[in-house]
Amino acid sequence: MLPLSVKDDEYKPPRLNLLRKASGWFRSILADRTSRNLFFFLCLNLSFAFVELLYGIWSNSLGLISDSFHMFFDCTALLAGLAASVISKWRSNDAFSYGYVRAEVLAGFVNGLFLIFTAFFIFSEGVERALEPPDVHHERLLPVSILGFIVNLIGIFVFQHGGHGHSHGSGHEHSHSLFNGGLSHGHSHRGHGHSHEHKHGHSHDHSHSHGHSHGQDYCHDDHSLEGMTGSSKQILQGVFLHIVADTLGSIGVIISAILMQNYGLMIADPICSMLIALLIGVSIVPLLKESIGILMQRTPPSLENALPQCYQRVQQLQGVYSLHDPHFWTLCTDVYIGTLKLLVAPDADGRWILSQTHNIFTQAGVRQLYVQIDVAAM
Amino acid sequence: MEEKYSGQALAAGGVLGPVDVPSARLTRYVVLLCFTKFLKAVGLFESYDLLKVVHLVQFIFVVKLGSAFFMVLFQKPFSSGKVVTKRQWIKIFKHAIVGCIISLLWFFGLTLCGPLRTLLLFEHSDVVVLSLLSVLFTSSGGGPAKTRGAAFFIIAVICLLLFDNDDLMAKIAEHPEGHHDSALTHVLYTVIAFLGVADHKGGVLLLVLALCCKVGFHMASRKLSVDVGGAKRLQALSHLVSVLLLCPWVIVLSLTTESKVESWSSLIMPFITVIFFVVILDFYVESICSVKMEASKCARYGSFLIFISALLFGNFWTHPITDQLRAMNKPPHHESTEHVLSGGVVVSAVFFILSANILSSPSRKGQKGTLIGYSPEGTPLYNFMGDAIQQSSQSLPRFIKESLKQILEEYDSRQIFYFLCLNLAFTFVELFYGVWTNSLGLISDGFHMLFDCSALVMGLFAALMTRWKATRIFSYGYGRVEILSGFINGLFLMVIAFFVFMESVARLVDPPDIDTNMLTPVSVGGLIVNLVGICAFSHAHSHGASRGGCHSHDHSHSHHGHGHGHSHGHSHSHSDHGHSHGHSHGSSGGGMNTNMRGVFLHVLADTLGSVGVIVSTIFIQQFGWLIADPLCSLFIATLIFLSVIPLLKDACQVLLLRIPPEQEKDLHAALEKIQKIDGVISYRDPHFWCHSASVVAGTIHVQVVSDVMEQRIVQQVTAILKDAGVNNLTVQVEKEAYFQHMSGLSTGFQDVLAMTQQLESMKYYKDGTYIM
Repeated sequence: MLPLSVKDDEYKPPRLNLLRKASGWFRSILADRTSRNLFFFLCLNLSFAFVELLYGIWSNSLGLISDSFHMFFDCTALLAGLAASVISKWRSNDAFSYGYVRAEVLAGFVNGLFLIFTAFFIFSEGVERALEPPDVHHERLLPVSILGFIVNLIGIFVFQHGGHGHSHGSGHEHSHSLFNGGLSHGHSHRGHGHSHEHKHGHSHDHSHSHGHSHGQDYCHDDHSLEGMTGSSKQILQGVFLHIVADTLGSIGVIISAILMQNYGLMIADPICSMLIALLIGVSIVPLLKESIGILMQRTPPSLENALPQCYQRVQQLQGVYSLHDPHFWTLCTDVYIGTLKLLVAPDADGRWILSQTHNIFTQAGVRQLYVQIDVAAM
Repeated sequence: MEEKYSGQALAAGGVLGPVDVPSARLTRYVVLLCFTKFLKAVGLFESYDLLKVVHLVQFIFVVKLGSAFFMVLFQKPFSSGKVVTKRQWIKIFKHAIVGCIISLLWFFGLTLCGPLRTLLLFEHSDVVVLSLLSVLFTSSGGGPAKTRGAAFFIIAVICLLLFDNDDLMAKIAEHPEGHHDSALTHVLYTVIAFLGVADHKGGVLLLVLALCCKVGFHMASRKLSVDVGGAKRLQALSHLVSVLLLCPWVIVLSLTTESKVESWSSLIMPFITVIFFVVILDFYVESICSVKMEASKCARYGSFLIFISALLFGNFWTHPITDQLRAMNKPPHHESTEHVLSGGVVVSAVFFILSANILSSPSRKGQKGTLIGYSPEGTPLYNFMGDAIQQSSQSLPRFIKESLKQILEEYDSRQIFYFLCLNLAFTFVELFYGVWTNSLGLISDGFHMLFDCSALVMGLFAALMTRWKATRIFSYGYGRVEILSGFINGLFLMVIAFFVFMESVARLVDPPDIDTNMLTPVSVGGLIVNLVGICAFSHAHSHGASRGGCHSHDHSHSHHGHGHGHSHGHSHSHSDHGHSHGHSHGSSGGGMNTNMRGVFLHVLADTLGSVGVIVSTIFIQQFGWLIADPLCSLFIATLIFLSVIPLLKDACQVLLLRIPPEQEKDLHAALEKIQKIDGVISYRDPHFWCHSASVVAGTIHVQVVSDVMEQRIVQQVTAILKDAGVNNLTVQVEKEAYFQHMSGLSTGFQDVLAMTQQLESMKYYKDGTYIM
């Protein structure tokens, strides 16, 4: 028997200097499609904001400067998404035993919160302005808002493209199921004893299974540490919503500017902004609900119906007395983890029950399962 | 009517399920009803305009005359039906008198407080008023929901009485030359003036009175209508009699007073619209609908639509566009200022709608049964149990009382609650003072405080929610809520700090003039409030810190392996939590959890803000350094930022399922110990994470040699990890054969998956056999 222990000092990422680190990040950003899109769009947004800021300083217009700051604030959402998509690919270490995959859920959540916050402020400002419409200087409003609108439109197209990849669903889900399949595959290997190479084998298995069993248009170059997720739903959804909100905002500004210029309808501006705020608020609710559910370790809604059937089936296995403490939760998009405890008869075949239970829940879609078998007292 | 009911019951009984008329068949009637109510609103607005020109009694006379004419035409009460006896004639006579008085009151109220308010007050159906009265005057009102509805109703009336300031304008419009048209009006007016209420408020009271009378009148005339042979016949006869009754009065009136009407012929059209819309159409459609639908449903839809259309008309009736749309024969002689829409009216309309909704909903008990089948004799069987249990709504006061009790139970929620109350009180004082002195700065500051309170409310709610029991869906319980709440609080603080930073940079570039006079007392007040909060919360803080100390101390012990006794020692070490801590659910309160930290930081940020304002005010006043203000806010923003970062980091770590940092070492030691257990080959996938402050969950796979007792291993591993602080543990023990099986399973994994997806229907079929 081999001496077995988990010492992973040697697997900790070696200390690099900043430049190497940055280039590594850069490469990992460019490796994946989601993060690449995010990155390019962030660059576009940032450059637009800088141009706006510079022009504002040059022409000494306060409105432009404040708008550019607003753009910078918007960029934080993108930055959060980008950071999450990089972080979520970090390999799991000792402290974060599940890896950093949850970062994507967190990023979606944060983005949603920010949007709610923004919507609230826009709404309150709209109410304020509806009560006493201020004089809006609309001569420079139109070009800036049209420019912003174009930038955002580009963003929408980029992410719709990306979102296309994630919305033809089957491919996406496939990659996940593959990941899980790869995971269990890896485990089964490691059971045979080369668990010294624990972490290493782990990641190797990943890339391996990725290569062999899906082989579709998913353009990963194998970075050996990804395999966690491809395009993650939560980040994309959050960022997409943010951009849509921005686009709606610029559409509103354009419409109200036109209305004000041509018809002198000063009330158009607050009404537009209130409508937009409401739209944002409504569209953000599902994302928030979902991500809160995941963060609170909710039982995944897609399993909710299947689980009672599974429980029934497990309890019908020979020798199983009862089932208690079932916990099922979502790690990240489509990765479900479950734990449960079985009380079995003293003379029951534990191994058979274990494998049957695994079988049952694998069919339901749970891929990481922990079954504790307690033998009932005689 | 009886035949119709039975027919409906038969038709509805054809299907299994809730005994309810299918909604598709009702849509017709609902639309009809809504349309009628809309027209009625039009008619009432029209009649208000008419009443400005025509005398009240004359108006009622003409309306009664017209409706009597048409109803006699439609119903033919003399040629059809049984003969009316003399006693019945006397009853009809009484009926007509009371009807006249009620319509007199109604239309007088209309002249006093305008069509909008009249519609709101008078157009409640009998069901609503009856249940309102039963709530108010009997002990068994029908449960908390009805009480709520009654409360809403009363609030709405009070809103109309107190917060609807249109009596000034109404007075100007109503009595331009200070005399009244008739003796009756004069009497009523003096009575109202004697009671000491304004004109329009008198109208409101009058209308409420008339409403009650109307309902009583309807109740009383029910028997008579059966005797006479239908409500329609009774109505026709009664209208006829009241025309005869009013006739002499009208003749006297028209002889004694000069009429303001220029030409009666131009008023024919409006009168016909009023007669049709207000009296005839409404009466017929309502009687049809009350037969076809339940009275409650009828009341709900009708009152909702009539209130909405009343609001619409109240806004648009005097609009120039409507004037164009209306008949040309009337010049727009009224100015648009009388009886306009005001905030009070809108609020009361909303409350009226709500109360009508609640009050008209049928009391659930025994009303909605479920048809479960037929007895052997063929009579339908209904099940009344489930619905009656399900629909019991909770009483609002009791709910408040219970949640208050829950709040006060625990240390931290109590703390938050007290501080919230203090904060709210301060805010309201500020707001009221601001409204009173009409200072915009104070009001906006008050709203800012209110927004701050939202953080406290969230913290309070999270502290409450944390204690909810675990459900099937949230199988680990709601402990995470407090972490999420702390996280959200921290994020908001970050955003606020960011904005403050931005604004202060902008101000640094060009410092604005600040009005320093008003600021100081308010900010000092805010500072005091926030200081109280800090004292309260920092007490908790130190408490929590000491607890943390206990934690690490205990864990350092736990290496030596005195397993079970440990958790006891743990809970004893801070005695105020008692035993509960040792066990898995634990009391999350008491310590400084993430939620409390978030709230604390929020309060701290507020305090810093008021300190900054005070300091900069002093600087500006004393030395005239305008730059002090942005510098202060820059500094504060940075401080907030720095203080929030640790909180955010901790919350993120928990949310990312990190191994709890304070137990990391113990866990590693525990894992090494597991390795050394007899018979354990290795372990894999050790996942430990902090679910909430008190729940540390963990999962591990342990591989063992094939000839060892699994149960012993499970117990040993559990004991070791329990020492390390994991209290929600699942250990999976695997033997050699299991791996062979699993490897087979996972190489064939894709096939299995594909098969299950393909044979979805087959699987369900199999499942069915499995389950039942």
